[in-house]
Amino acid sequence: MAATQEMQDMVKARKYEAGFITDVESESAPPGLSEDTIRLISVKKNEPEWLLAFRLKAYQRWLKMTEPTWAHVHYPKIDYQAISYYSAPKSMKDRPKSLDEVDPKLLETYKKLGIPLREQEMLAGVQNVAVDVVFDSVSVGTTFRATLKKAGVIFSSISEAVHEHPELVKKYLGSVVPFGDNYYAALNSAVFTDGSFVFVPKGVRCPMELSTYFRINERNTGQFERTIIICEEGAHVSYLEGCTAPQRDENQLHAAVVELVALDDATIKYSTVQNWYPGDEEGRGGIYNFVTKRGDCRGPRSKISWTQVETGSAITWKYPSCILRGDDSVGEFYSVALTNNRQQADTGTKMIHVGKNTRSTIISKGISAGRGEQSYRGLVRVLASAENARNYTQCDSLLIGSESGAHTFPYTEVRNRSAKLEHEATTSKIGEDQLYYARSRGLSAEDAVSMIVNGFCKDVFKELPMEFAVEAQKLLQVSLEGAVG
Amino acid sequence: MSAASYQKAWDQLPETLRVARAGAWKQFVAKGFPSKREEDWRYTDLSALNDARFAEATETSIVATTLQNWQSLVFANGQRQNGEVRAFETPLADDGITALNAALTRDGLDLRVARKQKAEPLHLLCLNSAAAMTHLRHRVVLEAGSEATLLIDTRGDDSATLATGVLEVEIGANARLRLLRIQDGGQASTDLFRSQIRVGRDARLEYVGLDLGGALVRHDLNVQLCEPGAYAEVHGVFAPGGSTHVDTHTRILHQAPHTTSREVFRGLVADRAHAVFNGRIVVEKAAQKTDSEQKLASLLLSPGAEINAKPELEIYADDVKCAHGATCGQLDEMALYYLRSRGLDSDTARNLLLFAFAHEVLAKVGAEDARREMERRLANRLPGSTAYEDLI
Repeated sequence: MAATQEMQDMVKARKYEAGFITDVESESAPPGLSEDTIRLISVKKNEPEWLLAFRLKAYQRWLKMTEPTWAHVHYPKIDYQAISYYSAPKSMKDRPKSLDEVDPKLLETYKKLGIPLREQEMLAGVQNVAVDVVFDSVSVGTTFRATLKKAGVIFSSISEAVHEHPELVKKYLGSVVPFGDNYYAALNSAVFTDGSFVFVPKGVRCPMELSTYFRINERNTGQFERTIIICEEGAHVSYLEGCTAPQRDENQLHAAVVELVALDDATIKYSTVQNWYPGDEEGRGGIYNFVTKRGDCRGPRSKISWTQVETGSAITWKYPSCILRGDDSVGEFYSVALTNNRQQADTGTKMIHVGKNTRSTIISKGISAGRGEQSYRGLVRVLASAENARNYTQCDSLLIGSESGAHTFPYTEVRNRSAKLEHEATTSKIGEDQLYYARSRGLSAEDAVSMIVNGFCKDVFKELPMEFAVEAQKLLQVSLEGAVG
Repeated sequence: MSAASYQKAWDQLPETLRVARAGAWKQFVAKGFPSKREEDWRYTDLSALNDARFAEATETSIVATTLQNWQSLVFANGQRQNGEVRAFETPLADDGITALNAALTRDGLDLRVARKQKAEPLHLLCLNSAAAMTHLRHRVVLEAGSEATLLIDTRGDDSATLATGVLEVEIGANARLRLLRIQDGGQASTDLFRSQIRVGRDARLEYVGLDLGGALVRHDLNVQLCEPGAYAEVHGVFAPGGSTHVDTHTRILHQAPHTTSREVFRGLVADRAHAVFNGRIVVEKAAQKTDSEQKLASLLLSPGAEINAKPELEIYADDVKCAHGATCGQLDEMALYYLRSRGLDSDTARNLLLFAFAHEVLAKVGAEDARREMERRLANRLPGSTAYEDLI
């Protein structure tokens, strides 16, 4: 009991340390965006002057920009003044008191994913267990931190990093995705509230896979995350983002920015399983996921690898990219994207070959079911300086249902004759003969489809860390439910 | 827009034409040439055309012969050399370039093949010279069950000419059109060509193009497969050299069930040339059982050469088979080595491989004399000028 008391104190203390607000009701900002909102965010987070200047600069730029419309997605215009830019955790009063009050459909999904009851409660945001769970992750978080600290790895929220390692944040913030990069990146630069900060020093191989899941403040990061991962010379890190269970989040706009920097011989592996609320069957509600993710292979022989499984969000607009600046650097992109019901996704990657002997691989698998619309949009650019650049691109689409759509927009720009590029794309529906075969062996139609889809995605799943791969498969199965028949 | 040359050409049109085409002219003045800000024009910059000046059309100095045993029609700087000037209804226009063409065109091919007839093969030769400006508009209608072969052959001198061309084609049920095109307008020429082809029930289009480049060459090739059973082959070679620019935009629209398209393009980009290829395939909701394939392979032959390629698929039906592939690379060193070990000098060995690479497409030309003509014209463009006879 005493230990529990101690831990609870620690939770409180930690919350305070992280700059979190205890009295939610009185501390959240009213909807609307202006310089005052940004100043408020900055004050609340007790930020240094240079960061406020960065935010204001981004805001000024954002005001001059227009919302991009080139993506192959359709949605009503977003009212940026109707959003609250400083969304602290939902108030305890609004939270469900017990699992009985949670949408049964949601619980059913959790059950199918095999998520333990306590985690289910946490995900659904049930009031009286929340503390326990936070308490759990605090203890987990602290053990992890000790190990990481020993190795010299910095892994904290970006708000903490601003205070504890201002020189690092200042050096790298906006160095890969400049504040004026695009409309949503500018918006994020102005109002970002939290996110992760990872720094792996020279020659260190991060002793464990880092995951946002284990960071206590993850639940509260809100819509505008900013993540920075830096790997110094020879360092190595694998980072997992997201959580495999669907979250009922009523936030409409999610505009995150992720910046990765790999110096000489460094390797960063970034895996995402994105399963935000996709809206209902009729396309009501759901998250707009407009994300800018970019990795910079600054040093020779560095490597950045993106793996993503995108099953959630009403609208996804996301192109994790690699700038292959260092000679012999490597960029990889593995993606599975699934759209069901009325979901829309416009996703892909950019590989910019600058250095000599740079290599990139793109494997993209799109599954479009129901009335889902899906586009692969990719760019492979070989600059004149990139001798012997090599790219292999494969993007396949699987169509399930006559109302779905699948599109491919791959751009290739080559300015060096020694480059070798290959691009392949196919679109087809699940073969009747494959289905027939599986059914004849005693599988139900749904199981057969799920098996074929999993086989279709195998090239990407094998890139995921093991536990993630298992959950991703289940997730795909759940997301596809009702699409067959 | 300070388009003095265009204004002057407009003012010189007969009053009746100016009345009939006031809409098209207004559209051109309002829209002007497409800008690089438009997605379809991001790699091709037409802004130099705004202030370009062109000479009055005169007699041409180019000497060119048409294919033997083929019917022929020759336009020299837009002036018809044989036959009657064609009649026009109001020509269609949907962007600045087609509007300019619609406003200023005076003539063009008007071919109509009657039901179940087989037309003599026709060589349409367009000679552009002396920094003149030409605006031809062609129309080809194949009635049900008919057949035709047409070679559109554009040649030019070294002057900065401008040619806009629009080709409207209607292929009726069970009809078959073999359409060939050679674009060889000279290093300084600007050639903006639009093909708008509708393919009817169980009808067939077989297109093969050869683009040899110019200061600014653009071909918009739009094929609509409008009825069940429609079939289109759309193939081409682009081989720009010097500091030329060739832009090919193909759009194949599958609108009806059981339609098929095949597309193979090969690119040889030499010197400081810039090639653009955009191959778009759209499968509309109604077009179930579509079968479509597109392949692009290109070689960059010198350090300054550049290619921008985008094969696009847009699919709204589910029971379809669609595939596309695009590659970019260099000649196989092993193959070169092999040929040299058999006693060929390096220029001949290279040219043999380059020719063979492009020939995969040219071999698809059914009409033999036209194929030989296309092969010869390509061979002339290969570096080191290996004789065509040595390559065959």
